[in-house]
Amino acid sequence: MNSNVVRTLAIGAAALVLEMGCQRRNEVVVYTSVDQVVAEPILDGFEKQFGVRVRAVFDTEETKSTGVLNRLIAEGGRPQADVFWSGDPVRPFLLVNRGFVEAYRSPNAHDIPPSFKAANGEWSGFAARARVLIVNKNLVPSDPPKSIRDLIHVRWKDKAAIANPLFGTTTMHVAALFAVWGDEKTRAFLNALRANGVRVASSNGEVKRLVSGGEVAFGLTDTDDADEALKEGAPIQVVYPDQDELGTLLMPTTVLLMKGDPHPDLGKKLIDYLLTRDVERGLAESAAHLPVRAGIPTPADVRAATSLRFMDVDYGKVGAELERIQPWLREWVGL
Amino acid sequence: MGGALIRALLRRQERWVLAAVGVVLVCVVALPLGAPLLSLGSSGGSLSRAFRDLTNHARLWILLWRSTWLSSAVTVASLCAGVPLGLVLGRTDVVGRRALALALALPVSLPPFLLVLGWYYIAGRSGWLGSERGSAWLFSDAGVIAVLSLAFLPVVVALSALGVRGIDASIEEAARVAAGPRRTLVWILLPAIWPSIALAAVLVFAMAFSELGVPMFLRRDVYPAAVFARLGGVDYQPGEALVLALPLLPVAGLLMIVERLIFRGRSFAVLGASHLSTNPLALGAWRLPASAVCWTVAGLTGAPIVALIAKAGLRGLLAGLDYVGASLVNSLATSLIAAASIAALAAVVGHGIARRIRGSALLDALSMLAFLTPAAVLGTGLLAVYNRPMTGWLYQSLAIIVLGFIARYSVVGVRTMAVAVAQSSPSFEESAGAFGARYVRRLVAIVLPMHRRALVGAALLAFLFCFRDLETAVLFYPPGGEPLTVKIFTLEANGPPPVVAGLAVVHAATTLVALAIGSAWFGTKA
Repeated sequence: MNSNVVRTLAIGAAALVLEMGCQRRNEVVVYTSVDQVVAEPILDGFEKQFGVRVRAVFDTEETKSTGVLNRLIAEGGRPQADVFWSGDPVRPFLLVNRGFVEAYRSPNAHDIPPSFKAANGEWSGFAARARVLIVNKNLVPSDPPKSIRDLIHVRWKDKAAIANPLFGTTTMHVAALFAVWGDEKTRAFLNALRANGVRVASSNGEVKRLVSGGEVAFGLTDTDDADEALKEGAPIQVVYPDQDELGTLLMPTTVLLMKGDPHPDLGKKLIDYLLTRDVERGLAESAAHLPVRAGIPTPADVRAATSLRFMDVDYGKVGAELERIQPWLREWVGL
Repeated sequence: MGGALIRALLRRQERWVLAAVGVVLVCVVALPLGAPLLSLGSSGGSLSRAFRDLTNHARLWILLWRSTWLSSAVTVASLCAGVPLGLVLGRTDVVGRRALALALALPVSLPPFLLVLGWYYIAGRSGWLGSERGSAWLFSDAGVIAVLSLAFLPVVVALSALGVRGIDASIEEAARVAAGPRRTLVWILLPAIWPSIALAAVLVFAMAFSELGVPMFLRRDVYPAAVFARLGGVDYQPGEALVLALPLLPVAGLLMIVERLIFRGRSFAVLGASHLSTNPLALGAWRLPASAVCWTVAGLTGAPIVALIAKAGLRGLLAGLDYVGASLVNSLATSLIAAASIAALAAVVGHGIARRIRGSALLDALSMLAFLTPAAVLGTGLLAVYNRPMTGWLYQSLAIIVLGFIARYSVVGVRTMAVAVAQSSPSFEESAGAFGARYVRRLVAIVLPMHRRALVGAALLAFLFCFRDLETAVLFYPPGGEPLTVKIFTLEANGPPPVVAGLAVVHAATTLVALAIGSAWFGTKA
């Protein structure tokens, strides 16, 4: 290797460190478990409106990601993130319980219903996703499943799929069932899933692929995955499950400020921006998120949270269940 | 005083240079792997739970056994197909040799999770060749073995071809006086490249063993998934994950012992200072059938990439370009710098292993351990070690990705260099030493020029591994500094499939260009 190559590489290395390592004042760092394709345009909008650079770390529900939540926990007392924008309302409690969160009452959160925000300002929820059934219309032309209990019905043996309950929103869904049904009933339900040959996919995205591709007749996933499948032209029907009794699980995205973050003022500014009604409407239009505030217009195919019967859960309690059931869940999965 | 110190340093150059390399490897491998132990130490319950899990859970040992036999099957399948292909590609007049080399190398440019996505588009139930039976086969152990074998085949082909091209032409010419091409290939060239084959086997086994994305996509349980469950789930337990990684130590040790047994008692002084004879071995009547087989295998390995291209379409490709942003530059810059650093480490440690210099084996074992340990464990360790006030500038920059790459892939360069040096006679270095040339001078003036080809090969191979890396960088890339593979992965969850496929094609095309530039440089300069 000649000296020119070595010199070029050395200069490149130094430039990389300088470019990235220098602490910049006019920037805000956000870690988000909202899908990149959804979150990025929103964050771009903030950059354009305020001239503040946003540096983001995105998460994915796919199996290889350790997840930004665990990265936040690992970074612990020396957070690199100013803001955590979570795709669900439960994971923030794992940070709250560890004392990693700074309370901040955004003025833009005033019209968010109390059940979707913390009274002390530790977290604020908006634009929700729901857990829905997506059904392949070619395989099930009529009489689709209407409840998550159909996953264990003999009619659907070997024909349904859920995502791995150790990861992603399925973990929260299972924890919510533990909170509502209790241990015995939920464990029996999960064991019945196994007995009924329900496929355990690596993610909600894969559930979508399996149903769209006709590998299974129906699956349990999130509204944004369902919306994506519809946009791709997949032959699917979306069912909001359990509208007669249990209710559909609703998961508002939540935003919170990290304690000891490098840019607290800009972090608050970003939170204010995310909690505007315009952003919530934008998320309804781009990713079929359900507005939690009244009076926000939605596209024809998107329902408002207020129009649904949803599961009556305390997100804090679900968060506690989430941690408690992990060893049992690992055994259930076989890991 | 100063003069005496310098003289003392000069006398012990070998030791000091190795020690310096050792410090680098300790900082990027040993400290990060040790860091999770501290979290265990601070919580006795967690420690005892981790060991209880490991010793009492039969399921974990079953998973370990499953991973071992799946990886063994992948290794055997890759070797059976890859070594003959490498020999043919390296030394015969097979039709379209250069194009074939590039076609066979291409799949290694993509992370396996993208290749399995391509196979899903082909053989999934609603795929182009989809059927009930095909889908059932894809989502089985056989499917995992087939997908991974084809994904890692290029590594075996490349190392076998490199090995055979490094053999002194005079040895082959002497054999051809009395024997035909087939006998020369089987009885002369094949035994001479045992070290390259052993290296390929070790790399493929280690990659297959630590692979998580493909088995989980195809819903087959493997041991790394159990380790990942302690890091990727809600129950974040890096210490427990490290304890579960302990059984990998004997696996790494076993791999190294097997490789050493292949070396032991044999002379591999077959690498020539002179290069290839100009005429490749003529296959004669076998030329067309052999070419057809080679191109068929290349077609199979490239099939998932074709599927991704078809899925992307022109619209996806153009949209993919819109999404690339700075991620391509991040990938290229970090991979190039890491590859150059790995080549520098490899020159010292690889030479040390081949010449059995004290301490080299330990550094080799450390780099092998980092390669075999699940990336999630190494990544969380790097985060724990470098997210501190003193090293914050490093953790917040792309330099942290470079460190991660060096930690994980140094073994690729080290082993490539070790094999090359082991294939050459130490007589040149001994002669120089007899005339007073010290270690550094011998290394710079004799070893590196003599093994320039291997050094460039090691850098190129390291670049490929770094550029396609996903599982290491995804854990600690700096905010706004994501590499292209991470961008593809995060978009893969819910991004438009044509865009994901389009980005994968951009990645593959960039690798192709890098390979073409590298091989051109390889041909003219090395």
